[in-house]
Amino acid sequence: MIVRKNHLQRWIPYLFVAPAFLLIMGVVAYPILNVMVRSFHIQEEDRYGLDHYYTLFTSKIALNNLYYTSYIVIITVLLSIVLAYALALYLRFTQSWASRLIGALYLLPRFIPGLVAVNAMITVIRDSGLLNRIALAFGYDIKPGLMFNEKGIILMNLWFNVPFATMLLMAALSNIPQSLIDSARDVGAGRIKLFVHMILPLTLKDVMIAATFIFMSNIGSFTTPYLMDSSSPQMLGISLFTQFSNMNYEYAAALSVLMFFLCSLSAAVYIYTNMRDKQWEK
Amino acid sequence: MRLIRVLLWTLGESDTLESLLSQTMLTWQREIASCAGLAAELSKEERRLRMFSFKGFYYALGRRKVIEFIIFSVFVLFFYLPLLNLIMLAFSNKYEAPALFPQEWGFKWWDYVLGQKNLMSSIILSFVIAIVTTLLSMCICLPAAYALARFEFPGRKLLFLSFLLSDAFPKMGLYVAIGIIFYKLNLIGTLPGVLLIHVLNSLMFMTWIPANAFRSVHRQQEEAARDAGAGPFRTFLHVTFPLALPGIIVAALFTFLGSLEEAQGTMLVGFPQFKTMPIEMYGIIMQYATTAGPVFSLILMIPTIIVLLLFRRYLSAENMANGFKIK
Repeated sequence: MIVRKNHLQRWIPYLFVAPAFLLIMGVVAYPILNVMVRSFHIQEEDRYGLDHYYTLFTSKIALNNLYYTSYIVIITVLLSIVLAYALALYLRFTQSWASRLIGALYLLPRFIPGLVAVNAMITVIRDSGLLNRIALAFGYDIKPGLMFNEKGIILMNLWFNVPFATMLLMAALSNIPQSLIDSARDVGAGRIKLFVHMILPLTLKDVMIAATFIFMSNIGSFTTPYLMDSSSPQMLGISLFTQFSNMNYEYAAALSVLMFFLCSLSAAVYIYTNMRDKQWEK
Repeated sequence: MRLIRVLLWTLGESDTLESLLSQTMLTWQREIASCAGLAAELSKEERRLRMFSFKGFYYALGRRKVIEFIIFSVFVLFFYLPLLNLIMLAFSNKYEAPALFPQEWGFKWWDYVLGQKNLMSSIILSFVIAIVTTLLSMCICLPAAYALARFEFPGRKLLFLSFLLSDAFPKMGLYVAIGIIFYKLNLIGTLPGVLLIHVLNSLMFMTWIPANAFRSVHRQQEEAARDAGAGPFRTFLHVTFPLALPGIIVAALFTFLGSLEEAQGTMLVGFPQFKTMPIEMYGIIMQYATTAGPVFSLILMIPTIIVLLLFRRYLSAENMANGFKIK
């Protein structure tokens, strides 16, 4: 397309982007900057320093919370991706009543309000919940033991994130042309070879995207641990809430920045995969 | 049909649990057997005997079908059992500890919930806010999405990425920081304040999904319209916009549903004045988890399910996945 580049035209895209961009700057970037500045402020002595960050990385409780959260999030990301990949492969390459029905049903959990879903899950998995009652009906008294520890949280995270990751991976898998797969089969590629050498590399970018978003949304998760977890160790989202409620604003700010940093790390991975792909496409 | 009849029958005269369980099991097995086309070959008794053991089940249906059945069962049990249990709880008047099914079914909690006088006003408020949020967000973000999709300019990628910012920072920290700023600006407890919070949550989807949708409209189609004499505005309105519409609808749905269930930010910025549906209900859901809570949960879910059903043909994995990618 031949575009005559005069001054006005050069500014049009910026003009179009301006309202949304200004909003992001005003309601997101500026508050974040404020939080960052406040996180260095030491209220009692009215000076600026790294004290809050020092506490975050040395206090046993804070470190435990950090480990605990990382552990839950990493397990969640890995399990979600593996399960979602398996489900997406099944949905993509199987034509049957089961796959069609699952294909129609798998997206709903993504849209159920968080609190509703967590409460629904609690009525099933708590020690006097549905699972226990079903077991009792068969004459066994099985206590699932999934509440107030990380198992229930991971289970709940899977409930939210497997459908999400399946959705991303389904989109990626359906972008692989069937002819490509057929031709690979024709030259003798078995299932495993097909997967390792073709399907996996072609969807790796989407795996990274899914992992990034699952990571980011779970680092600061609040509703699930708030309703399901015990009081110690705490996930970072809960810890943040406690600090805010106790009016430790500066310390909470430092904690927010730490969580932001963790998210940025995963976002960096995401950006790297996206950009590298772009260069390869060009 | 058969399943429904069995359910009705058991509800009517279920004396023991076993009868219910065995009856449902039998029905399932019959369904599966007829699926496999075995119904004709086997007599009733034979089928019953065969299907009762796992081995018999396995050989009668074949490995593939059995695996499929297991996958499907696990899927339904994990994702839908909690929701189904919620429905059961919502329609039970009396439900005491060891029993699997309620002792008494009924609408007791519905009467209680629907009798709350703030309920209707909070639902209406939520819908008004959600609709205004969606329109506002479209007005702000669609031009940006179009520019990001159609123009190549320095800083495009960076601008694209800036919309990720609100997702990368912990929401609570962000809301508190916004709350402090809003307090200085006297926006606490005002409609603009609440709307800003809701729009903020939609910025990423509202730019990324439509931008990717605009980008996948072929330039040649736009050029053809231009060649036929349409101006840039007309081209957009009659060619680009309709072709990108599925993406825009998905983004609008995400925004609408997100706004309907937003509670944290609304609580912080607009609490006493703006009691939206989730704020009104969250307290009760947490307090009365097994009595009035399920009823509220269902009421909260109804709009979501209606919207999803109405627009299900737009909600392809493809369209939604666009909300998480930079093209």
